[in-house]
Amino acid sequence: MKIGLVGNQNSGKTTLFNLLTGMNAKIGNWPGVTIEKKVGNLKNTDIEITDLPGIYSLSPYSMEEEISRKFIFEEKPDVIINIVDSTALERSLYLTTQLLELDTKVIVALNMADELEKKGIKIDESKLEKELGAKVLKISALKATGIDELVNEIKNAKTFAETKIYDAKLENAIENIKNKLTPNVHHKRFIAVKLLENDERFKELNMADIKTIAKNLSQNYETDLEETIATERYLFIEKAKKNSFKQSIKRESLSDKLDKVFLNKWLAFPIFVAIMFLVYYLSVGVIGSFTVDWVAGIMDLFGEKVSTFLSNVGTSEMINSLVVQGIIAGVGAVLGFVPQLIILFICISVLETTGYMSRIALLLDKLFRKIGLSGKSLIPFIVGSGCSVPGIMGTRIIENQDEREMTSILTPFIPCSAKLPIISLFAGYFFPENSGLISASLYFFAIIVIIVSAIIMKKFIYKNTSSTYIAELPEYKVPSIKYVAKDVFDKVVAFIKRAGSVILICSIAIWFLVSFSFNMEYNVNIEDSMLASIGNKISWIFEPMLGTKSWGATVSAIQGLVAKEQVVSSMAVINGLADDIEAGEEIFSSNGVFGFFTAASAYAFMVFNLFSAPCFGAIGAMKRELGGTKKMLKAVAFQTIFAWLLATLVYQIGSRIEQGIFSAADLIVVGAILLVVIVILIKKDKNKECAGCPYCADCNKK
Amino acid sequence: MKKIGDKCVLSDLKVGQKAKVLRLNETNKAIRRHLLDMGITRGTVVAVKKVAPMGDPIDIELRDYELCVCKADLDKIEVEVMG
Repeated sequence: MKIGLVGNQNSGKTTLFNLLTGMNAKIGNWPGVTIEKKVGNLKNTDIEITDLPGIYSLSPYSMEEEISRKFIFEEKPDVIINIVDSTALERSLYLTTQLLELDTKVIVALNMADELEKKGIKIDESKLEKELGAKVLKISALKATGIDELVNEIKNAKTFAETKIYDAKLENAIENIKNKLTPNVHHKRFIAVKLLENDERFKELNMADIKTIAKNLSQNYETDLEETIATERYLFIEKAKKNSFKQSIKRESLSDKLDKVFLNKWLAFPIFVAIMFLVYYLSVGVIGSFTVDWVAGIMDLFGEKVSTFLSNVGTSEMINSLVVQGIIAGVGAVLGFVPQLIILFICISVLETTGYMSRIALLLDKLFRKIGLSGKSLIPFIVGSGCSVPGIMGTRIIENQDEREMTSILTPFIPCSAKLPIISLFAGYFFPENSGLISASLYFFAIIVIIVSAIIMKKFIYKNTSSTYIAELPEYKVPSIKYVAKDVFDKVVAFIKRAGSVILICSIAIWFLVSFSFNMEYNVNIEDSMLASIGNKISWIFEPMLGTKSWGATVSAIQGLVAKEQVVSSMAVINGLADDIEAGEEIFSSNGVFGFFTAASAYAFMVFNLFSAPCFGAIGAMKRELGGTKKMLKAVAFQTIFAWLLATLVYQIGSRIEQGIFSAADLIVVGAILLVVIVILIKKDKNKECAGCPYCADCNKK
Repeated sequence: MKKIGDKCVLSDLKVGQKAKVLRLNETNKAIRRHLLDMGITRGTVVAVKKVAPMGDPIDIELRDYELCVCKADLDKIEVEVMG
């Protein structure tokens, strides 16, 4: 038996799903999209339950709705459990009226029954059942009440007669269309209504005579049929509610009182900054980095033990190295992120379930929407300043797929803590008096890069999303520990599976290229390794930003893919030093491999390493969030090419300043021109908002 | 401030004011459908409850719940002020 769990966002759907399936749910993605798909068996049965995305309607306009429709039509569930927030009955029943138009059996589960008394609400489920024409039960997923009755109902679900909710003319038209549909078509009533709404997805069924029925019908109403039908649904719901729902006087809710503080004009931002600081401190600050070091320590110890064991049983040094320095190091890299991710996911889950996350989106929406991002995009950026991996994983909080993808690709542009050694090496040596200023300038650079990239991506890649904000504002709630724990567990497992594979394979690949020469000689000096030969062959790519061909710089940049800290240690090793040397005088010694660096090429190389493809950990995380290898590769290409262009620009201008061809004044003028260009690009998008709006005279936007 | 009986757009209202929806002028089909699905239909009574600290989006109360909508979309909803 197959069941679909359908309901609005914030209706307690996930809590109910967890309750019904326990730990046996499998989590993946719906094919082709980054929307989560959860399927599990009802405990102790082989009844399969699929958790569908939170939706408010079954229109043809969003990915979530399309997934749900597809599921209903193609996977043909036997029963649909419609979970309803009984404290928001009117809005919730809108989806219910559409589900009732299907042939599938529907059970309406009025959730949050425990809150009804608190709010002075009384619902008579038997009266509501008569009005709707479907089984209605009260449950509380949180307190686990009414669940046995629900399970019983599922096993013995009944079919009800069709409920006619529209006026006579509409119902007539629906019957006429139903008769025109071929006999083997399922969900005739649902399709008939959708055809009247001129639903794109049922175009093939929309024959000429059906179009005529629709045309004739629409002449009876002031608005088009899509609006008329929506209005009629709500009229029906209002009537059904009147007969079964009573609410005594509403006092000011706790949420309203809290919002007076959290959305207060003066307090909102300081409180937000404080909370963000806490999230940062916990996940990537002191506590987070402590866990990274702790895991690294454990992995080192484990590696040593395995190495000893392997040499004791007689394996060669090469296999020993493969296992310890390739595989265990790779696995260690994945596991190294796990404690940080756990902390981060706990923070995010708490922010979401308490309802504060919606307030964050409100706070920042106005600013971020200008460049095509969500207000929630700030959180991945803040976390990303510590480490991109949890930052990218944190983009889950953004509902809109395009905004989420853009944020995932932009997060690595923020300098993470692994990039700090690069900054302190280059800035410290080449700009000794201004190293602080130079370091700070890179963060501002990053912000500008993000804004410009966002605008470019919006204009050329994600041009179809309309910029809008329409979202329910949930009430503040106390988070459930059980819910948060399961949420965090699911997300971490998903990371290890999806991102872990990328990290592991790539770490082994780099180990291989560094350890062997093309003659398959093992344990060669780095200048004889395959990586160095490759570096030599492609060093011309870096010439425009360095002023010369350098296999050493090329190899170091490639090793930065494993972990950005490795750029510095790689340079040290290449210059014949121990890998933990970080002193500029030793690495940039004039007769050494990197003696050619000047201040201009140093800044350019820094820029490249900061903005090019992030480490494999972040690339793996991007694969998880973008939903596939193809998109991940495109993102990496975008970042690297952008970084290359920027670094080349920096060197070409910088070297000319060094040679006296350009002056600082030239730079300021060019900077001003760029700023004007950016502002024009942003302004141009604003004009799109005015198109189609006839209220110019009264407009308060000019 | 708009007075009772005035016809204007939803973004003109101040916190605490109530109005009846008259018309949806949104031309983008997906956005328009979303507004309808969320309950903003002709004759619905909405109340402006809260405003985001930067003035946009705006939180309106309707049908026993709260919906935040950006000003750009509220500009295209014609209403009649009720209080």
